[in-house]
Amino acid sequence: MIRLENVTKVYKGEVLALQNASCEVQRGEFVFLVGPSGSGKSTFMRLLNKEEKPDRGRVFVAGKDIGELPGWKVPFLRRNIGCVFQDFKLLPNKTVAQNVAFALEVIGRPRSMIKSKVPAILELVGLSKKMHNYPDELSGGEQQRVSIARAFVNRPLILLADEPTGNLDPNTSLGIMTLLDRINRTGTTVLMATHDRGIVDKMRRRVVELDRGQIVRDQSRGVYE
Amino acid sequence: MNLKLDYVLRETAGNFRRNITLTLATVITVTISLTLLGAALLFGDAVDNATVRWKDGVEFIVFMDPDISPELEADVRRQLEDSPEVGGFTYIDKDEAYAEVQDLLGDSPELVEVISAERLPASFRVKPTDTLPERVDELAAAFRTQPGVARVVTASETIRAIEDLSSGLRQRVIIIAIVLLVAAAVLILNTIRMALFSRRRDIEVMKLVGATNWFIRVPFMFEGLVQGVVGGIVAIPLIWLTNNFYSVINEDVSLELLRGFTVDPARVWVLGFQMVGLGAIVGTVGSGIAVSRFLDS
Repeated sequence: MIRLENVTKVYKGEVLALQNASCEVQRGEFVFLVGPSGSGKSTFMRLLNKEEKPDRGRVFVAGKDIGELPGWKVPFLRRNIGCVFQDFKLLPNKTVAQNVAFALEVIGRPRSMIKSKVPAILELVGLSKKMHNYPDELSGGEQQRVSIARAFVNRPLILLADEPTGNLDPNTSLGIMTLLDRINRTGTTVLMATHDRGIVDKMRRRVVELDRGQIVRDQSRGVYE
Repeated sequence: MNLKLDYVLRETAGNFRRNITLTLATVITVTISLTLLGAALLFGDAVDNATVRWKDGVEFIVFMDPDISPELEADVRRQLEDSPEVGGFTYIDKDEAYAEVQDLLGDSPELVEVISAERLPASFRVKPTDTLPERVDELAAAFRTQPGVARVVTASETIRAIEDLSSGLRQRVIIIAIVLLVAAAVLILNTIRMALFSRRRDIEVMKLVGATNWFIRVPFMFEGLVQGVVGGIVAIPLIWLTNNFYSVINEDVSLELLRGFTVDPARVWVLGFQMVGLGAIVGTVGSGIAVSRFLDS
């Protein structure tokens, strides 16, 4: 599903974010990306939806070299990749339901489809009762659930989660992980960058460790360290 | 792309609400620059109409009696041909004179109707070799007494001065109008950028979930289009006002020299719609550029 071949990424000619990294992720896998800040976890993810281009090497998503992808096709690549962030990136002037609907609206989905899909996905993340609330009326965990609902409503092949529990307390984090696990069980490939030792150790999934831009460990059913 | 009209309208309305002062400033700038440009072009038309007879070095015109005999007319022609002081001349027959009148009075068909080609005088437009005013006057006087000649009109220095002045003035107004139009485009660009800045979060999310660039761009281009068109529409009555002002000049009897200093109303309308079109182009292109820069970064 995802393959990096000898990828090197250097920012502004001096900051080495990834160095000759190669990695392959199969369809339906759940992978933790761990490592200290600045080790290249975010860069790894940003390369996958072409927010960044590699300086050397090639990146494959769903069997296609995305370096060959013309600019106008990048939006269509992104429709297959859901993204979740530490800071949620919700729109404060839209309700929960509108936030999720927006993701479908801007890719031109018909209104009938939006009307049926939005309540269904909010049901899945357990927020049916709050669909008409605004993000600032929700707890952090609830906001992250909305953000996951938005990322998943379009049924992407891949879900990228960049420190999704970074702002949440351990209990809430566990709830989010349960949700991501459920999404993974539907066949969606999940890639999650994290610093959360507790979660990684508890889940026992594949762990890829990065250190100063190099992949130093790749372990199935691994632990944080 | 599957863009929906109601989506575009909703987004555009939202942007206007958020940036009402900037939108107003943009519309006003568009209006002023289009009005100035339109007024300058009209002014040019009016000057052309007023001085159409005095083009290409014509210094005086010999009008014949409307019912002159062909022999007498041939005499005058021969005299013009023989005179060493005449560099060249053009003969305007009754039909050509009638066509010219029709052009000038196109806006008042009732006037054109009462004039018949038969009653209009034929004329010779004369270009002397020496354009010194005294010499021209002498030469013109020689023809004034010629049998069959109704009257001789010389291009006074006033007319020459008006022509010089007006062409200079026209150029300057057009330059000012273009500068203002560029300013309007930059303002539109800036308005859109402010709108983009206040909505950068939305755009980030849109890009993230895979909205195409055109999907993001179109509402903003539509906003620029509306600003440009509104500015252009407001400019139409202002252009009419300037045209009325020209008409007042035309009707002032003391300015008989400027007879014909008028513009056909149909032309004013065409110009008005051209200005609306220009506003639309400036608005749409300006905002398109603004968004593209944002999207590429």
